[in-house]
Amino acid sequence: MKKFKLFKTVTAAALTLTGLLGLTATNEVHAQTGENQEIVFWHGMGGNAGTALEALVEQFNEENELGITVTSEYQGSYDDTITKLRNSSLGNLEADLVQIYDIGTRYMIDSGLVTPMQTFIDAEGYDLSQIEPNIAAYYTVNDELISMPFNSSTPILYYNVDLFKAAGIENAPTTLAEIIEIQPALEEAGATMPISLQVYGWFVEQFIAKEGDHFVNNGNGREDYTTEVAFIESGVMEEVLTAWYDLFEANAAPNVGRQGGQPEFVSGQSAMTMGSTASLAGILAEVDGKFEVGTAFLPAVTEDGLEGGVSIGGASVWALDSQDPEKAQATWEFVKFLVSPSVQAEWAVATGYFPISTAAHEEAVFQENVTNFPQFQTAIDQLHASSPESQGALVSVFPEARQIVETEIENMLNGNLTPAEAAQAMADQINTAIEQYNLVNY
Amino acid sequence: MTQELPFELEKVPILDELLEEQERLFKQAQLRKRIMKIGLLVVNSILAVVTLFPLIYAITMSLKTPGEIYTTDFQLLPAVPQFSNYVNAFQTAPLGRFILNSFIVAIAITIGQLLSGALAAFSFEFLNSRFKEVIFALVLATMMVPGEATIVSNYLQVAGWGWLDSYHVLIIPYLTSASTIFLLRQFYKSFPFTLYEAARIDGCSNIRFVLTILLPLSKPALGATAVNAFINAWNMYMWPLMVSGSDNYRTVQIGVSMMQSVDSQSIVLMFAGVVFCLLPSLIIFLVGQKALVKGLFSGSVKG
Repeated sequence: MKKFKLFKTVTAAALTLTGLLGLTATNEVHAQTGENQEIVFWHGMGGNAGTALEALVEQFNEENELGITVTSEYQGSYDDTITKLRNSSLGNLEADLVQIYDIGTRYMIDSGLVTPMQTFIDAEGYDLSQIEPNIAAYYTVNDELISMPFNSSTPILYYNVDLFKAAGIENAPTTLAEIIEIQPALEEAGATMPISLQVYGWFVEQFIAKEGDHFVNNGNGREDYTTEVAFIESGVMEEVLTAWYDLFEANAAPNVGRQGGQPEFVSGQSAMTMGSTASLAGILAEVDGKFEVGTAFLPAVTEDGLEGGVSIGGASVWALDSQDPEKAQATWEFVKFLVSPSVQAEWAVATGYFPISTAAHEEAVFQENVTNFPQFQTAIDQLHASSPESQGALVSVFPEARQIVETEIENMLNGNLTPAEAAQAMADQINTAIEQYNLVNY
Repeated sequence: MTQELPFELEKVPILDELLEEQERLFKQAQLRKRIMKIGLLVVNSILAVVTLFPLIYAITMSLKTPGEIYTTDFQLLPAVPQFSNYVNAFQTAPLGRFILNSFIVAIAITIGQLLSGALAAFSFEFLNSRFKEVIFALVLATMMVPGEATIVSNYLQVAGWGWLDSYHVLIIPYLTSASTIFLLRQFYKSFPFTLYEAARIDGCSNIRFVLTILLPLSKPALGATAVNAFINAWNMYMWPLMVSGSDNYRTVQIGVSMMQSVDSQSIVLMFAGVVFCLLPSLIIFLVGQKALVKGLFSGSVKG
């Protein structure tokens, strides 16, 4: 962004000047320790997750031996947080660390506000292999870890075990076409609808990832910034939409809108739904023992996708460039705390997010949780069965693209567009948005 | 109910009949009136239940367990009221503090808007200056600019002044509003100008006229604009979110969004938070609705 660049050059010049003055004055350089610093952490975690996060911050403030004080500030939803960051970046940044959702990744890279995590990792020789490789892959661009994953989740299939047993079905479906096959049996067993499938752009992205295809060009926006969508050329979007429409037409997946899905499932009307792994605790609480909840891998669109993996969702934490090395070091200390195995285990148990540290799986508190909620094992297996290649796209206009995808799916389900037309409509609108963004920003 | 008649009637038999007839008609009318009243009451009660249903539903939902929320058969009342939902809501966010903040901010904004609005409307209506109408048009023009368009520049301004995270940054930008000025001016239009002239001839200063004559006589209009201003201030979301960082200066709308969790929503927690945050504005409306309705209708009927 041009504005950022100008701002950066000016501050950089000013800093070099003050740095020079400082050097001549003290004549000594020492490594930063981050001692006695106060840093501000912006996050978008409300509800139970918010309470759990506050507890972690408190724990850090009490336990760290460097006298670092972290002030955590809730900044509204993910969307609100990125909006506030966008505005405050024009003036004076008030935060040192900020939590941004997965689809804001490209924006953050372009903003020029960020100190890549790799800088700290290299400076300290931090062992990155502690982080789940499939999760780290999402936030790795040009072999650099740019932000630290913090709360990650993957989509899974939730199913009503009681209904499946009554219908005499042993395994959860692995492709969308299979859902139509088991539809009669499920309806016989008393399901009003076989699957309640929320109109959610994330699922479409995941279906594409499972097929091994890309959402946008230039290596899914990872080799270079993207210039247009890739799902028309490969035809994958049409495939996904056709499969979705087939389900809808067979009345296997009625249109439940953008907010539906989970309610139909927990009330026992639908036999299956798709959702984030982080929703497990909420779903179990709402089902409240009315039936047994099973989890399975996300179904693929076609047979080709059976071997494919999913990419992650959720959010990561970004170190903002505050031009103060001591503060930056203090921020890094806090980040290390956040991803330490014991904290990640605790966090995963409290929220249902996936522990991003491999060693967290060894923690007793996490193992106990998996014993209590065996459904969570599916999330672990699915992520480990995926490969870093299915890491998902980086698109500057992702929030907008998701809106477009959802609108066009609705148009398709309402009978206004055929799957092919809907795919083309998505491509046209997303391409325009990308073009406009690129024109302004690169 | 018999009526005393000014002369003797018993002697005239035909009158007797008439009297009975009158009594019968009278009773009939009374009965009709009563039926009418009961009918209206029934209709009103049904309408009240219909309009209040979302609120009642929200309250009963906020007392349910998560497992009771989504069921196929309709249940209005929770099996066992879960007051712990409210306890959890308070643990998730310092709602008490937020409500206090919202009150401080909303009341200060209301007072400020009334004061500035009343004075500005007075100048526009009673005083003469050459560019009065142009200035008034400019004031109205600010209503055409959506708040979202100015929020960033406003933010940069207050950030530059180092005002962030304080009460005054929440209050000062909203101390005046074009809609308040407009509403009050419309009301003053129906205010007898001769009253102003008489006061001036008697040597009353402008400011004294406003304070002792104009304002006391425009109570209904002030009440209506006050309720309007208060509710708008109470419902602010984006501005408080941007300019406040710590919990010390956050308002209640942010508290409501704090109940929400992206991936694992607890509906009951949200209902509890929303119901609790709804109460104060509801009470304000109950207290102020008479003034509101009166103010909105005054001017339509003169006198």
